Amino acid sequence: MARLIIPNRHGHQTVEWDTTVDTEETRAAIEEAERIIADARRQGCLVSRKVGDQHLLDTGPFDPKAEEYQIIAPIAGG
Amino acid sequence: MMRFVRRLFDANVPSTAREDDLELPWTMRWSHVPRRSAGPDFHRADYRRARENARLVARSTLGEDLWADLQRQGYLELRSRLFPGVTYRLRVGLRIEVLCEPGVRPPWRHPYLCINPTYPLPEEEFFAHLYLYVRDSEEEIVRVAAPQPWDQPLGRTF
Repeated sequence: MARLIIPNRHGHQTVEWDTTVDTEETRAAIEEAERIIADARRQGCLVSRKVGDQHLLDTGPFDPKAEEYQIIAPIAGG
Repeated sequence: MMRFVRRLFDANVPSTAREDDLELPWTMRWSHVPRRSAGPDFHRADYRRARENARLVARSTLGEDLWADLQRQGYLELRSRLFPGVTYRLRVGLRIEVLCEPGVRPPWRHPYLCINPTYPLPEEEFFAHLYLYVRDSEEEIVRVAAPQPWDQPLGRTF
């Protein structure tokens, strides 16, 4: 399973998909994750991707085979 | 309508987050929410669950070694890539402390940097986000940081 983590005031929520099967549901979840990431980036969020056992900020294109992505909140001073 | 796999890690879903509703905080306005709050619809049990969920993500984001360091020390430090001799000390829920080696001129007038998320987040989760910013995107930290002469809890985390 792969997932997109969406941190929010509830802690976090996820969109998940199975990377081993190509079904309509899998494709729909991947499209949903890709849409959320693109929208979040447009609104100033960053995105991180799990590499090994930790996350690194990632500016590359969405890869549905990646293990885990996360939306990183925009920051502001004060 | 196909039902995507959307869920909270915690099996006990807070009353404020129905299973099939994703809350995308960057699409919402938060200026009405008081400091150190998640909003008027949050109750004690919601805060507890949110912090438990956030801890899972923070640990997964940082990795086991950094997580263990944080639990043992109570802070994590990162050397600046932009300012030689400068180290950032990050603590959960508090401002970043800027530490300078002897003889190094501080990049800011004040030793604490106030940086908040633009929407409410549990403080351990935002700590992990801030760590990624300092390590991987220090330029953004420098761009937004509000230097302050004293330490205090961040206003947008809880």
